[in-house]
Amino acid sequence: MKKPLYQRVIGYVVLVFFLVVILLPFYWMFVTSFEPNSDISAYPPAYFPHQWTLSHYAEAFGQFHFGRYILNSVIVAITSTFFVLLFGSMAGFSIARLPIKGKQPMLIFLLIISVFPPLVVITPLYMLLRDVGWLDSYQALIIPYTAFNLPFAIWILRNYFLQVPGALFEAAKMDGASVFMSYWRIFLPLTTPGLFTAAVFTFVACWTEFFMALVFNPDNTMRTIPVGIALFSGQYTVPYGTIFAGSVVSIVPIVILVVIFRRWIVSGLTQGAVKG
Amino acid sequence: MSKAMEEHVSFRADHGGASVVRHDVRAGFGMLTPAGIVILAVTIFPILYSVWMSFNNIQLTENGFQFTFNGVQNYADVYSAPLFWHSVWFTVYYSIVTVAIELFLGLLIALAIQNVEKLKSVSIVVMLIPWSLITVISAEMWSYIYNGVYGVLNAILQGMGFIHNSINWTGEPFTAVIALMAADIWKTTPFVVIILLSGLQMIPKDYYEAARIDGANGWQTFWNVTFPQLRGSIAIAGLFRILQAFGIFDLPFVLTQGGPGSTTTSLAMLGEETLFTNLHFGLGAAVAVSTVILILGACVIFLSAFRGMVGEEAQ
Repeated sequence: MKKPLYQRVIGYVVLVFFLVVILLPFYWMFVTSFEPNSDISAYPPAYFPHQWTLSHYAEAFGQFHFGRYILNSVIVAITSTFFVLLFGSMAGFSIARLPIKGKQPMLIFLLIISVFPPLVVITPLYMLLRDVGWLDSYQALIIPYTAFNLPFAIWILRNYFLQVPGALFEAAKMDGASVFMSYWRIFLPLTTPGLFTAAVFTFVACWTEFFMALVFNPDNTMRTIPVGIALFSGQYTVPYGTIFAGSVVSIVPIVILVVIFRRWIVSGLTQGAVKG
Repeated sequence: MSKAMEEHVSFRADHGGASVVRHDVRAGFGMLTPAGIVILAVTIFPILYSVWMSFNNIQLTENGFQFTFNGVQNYADVYSAPLFWHSVWFTVYYSIVTVAIELFLGLLIALAIQNVEKLKSVSIVVMLIPWSLITVISAEMWSYIYNGVYGVLNAILQGMGFIHNSINWTGEPFTAVIALMAADIWKTTPFVVIILLSGLQMIPKDYYEAARIDGANGWQTFWNVTFPQLRGSIAIAGLFRILQAFGIFDLPFVLTQGGPGSTTTSLAMLGEETLFTNLHFGLGAAVAVSTVILILGACVIFLSAFRGMVGEEAQ
């Protein structure tokens, strides 16, 4: 059934306007990162730069530590994602397929703890990390990031494990496979879409997290991207050129990730709505 | 889930007997253990510990943290501080206003673009980019746009003749709140649109067909078909956003530093300041625990208000 012409025209107009509004600030950040300082603080600003320079990129990655911030973020996000997938898929498989008691309370419990804000756990964790000397370390972020992203991953993966026919589990048992083996060899490969969804959500959550990273890893060599950028601003002037140069580079990997995994992100975002 | 489990258990009982089931139970708990330990250690233990801390006077000494039990003194101190109530008020109205605008705008946009067939995958990617953007980066981006001396927003508004003199957006209380809200709405409305678009796609086409045959106009179709069918998606989007909005920290930390004065100091910012700038751990814990209670309350109110609002319509 084709919609009337006026509805389609309105649709396109709204969509294009919406996309432009989303993209304009990015355009502004992008061109600013290539402008010399005199143009960055010129008023009124030129909507298209007169002269282009790479000097802010040279500053961000030569003189300052943006390369290190990106490396720290990559290490923390990838390691946390790995542990979330491993522990989360084991727990999700167990809840979906094994005859244990108390599954419903466990799932509700997971929902409730994902509601708690970081503010309430941050101080005890800070004191603990301080006592064991783990402030300004990768594990100071990897452990809490793993914990905070496990509930969502367990939920998502449990749903995917439920879609795999239970008869496969029995068949594997007949062939003498252990529980762990049938999880690892049969179920895990069949739930790759679920793993993708859980992975990309965990990665983005770790990549963007600011509060814990700020409190646990303030040392200049251990900062992640958001902390590096937030603490970079000078006392009196904000070095926008350098900040934007570092930001543009740090946005590229995440945009590639979004382009590749867009289907699974959308399916993850809508899982809750389907269940509710 | 429980049905699948029952089938599974009865199947096992027929073939393998109770010992195999018990073995599966052991394996099941074994596979839950790593996730369970991490979650207990990093969420449950600290939450309980925060509650304990909030009843203590805590001093940072050379020998580490010294706890002295002082009952509800921290809560009394926190609740008698005007700044706390200011933060509560700011966090509450900020969350309600931004989430309401995001849901409304998101619904309008989703309805308008649901029939657009071309550009679909490009649009999804573009809408996901703000979602995946580090909030600190978006805050820096907007702080440059809002800048009172060379910000492009003033240039655009002056160019269009809306204002004569440059406005120091983040320097005045009223405009600082507006600026913060606008940056938040810009970043999170696309997320709401995506959730609502998927919700719209799941409404069976026959419903619209039936409404058309009954002679319903566009408005009646929306109120009797689209909105009731979409309420699950709206509730989920709203709940996600309420939770995030009540914890707002990154955006004001960079964009307004809680100012001017303490206009935009959210509860999370107040907590962070009390804990890590002023090192009042007991007071900070009391702020944190109060925040959690407020957030849980907000979720309950949102869900029950939402159910009340659409409950009758849905039938």
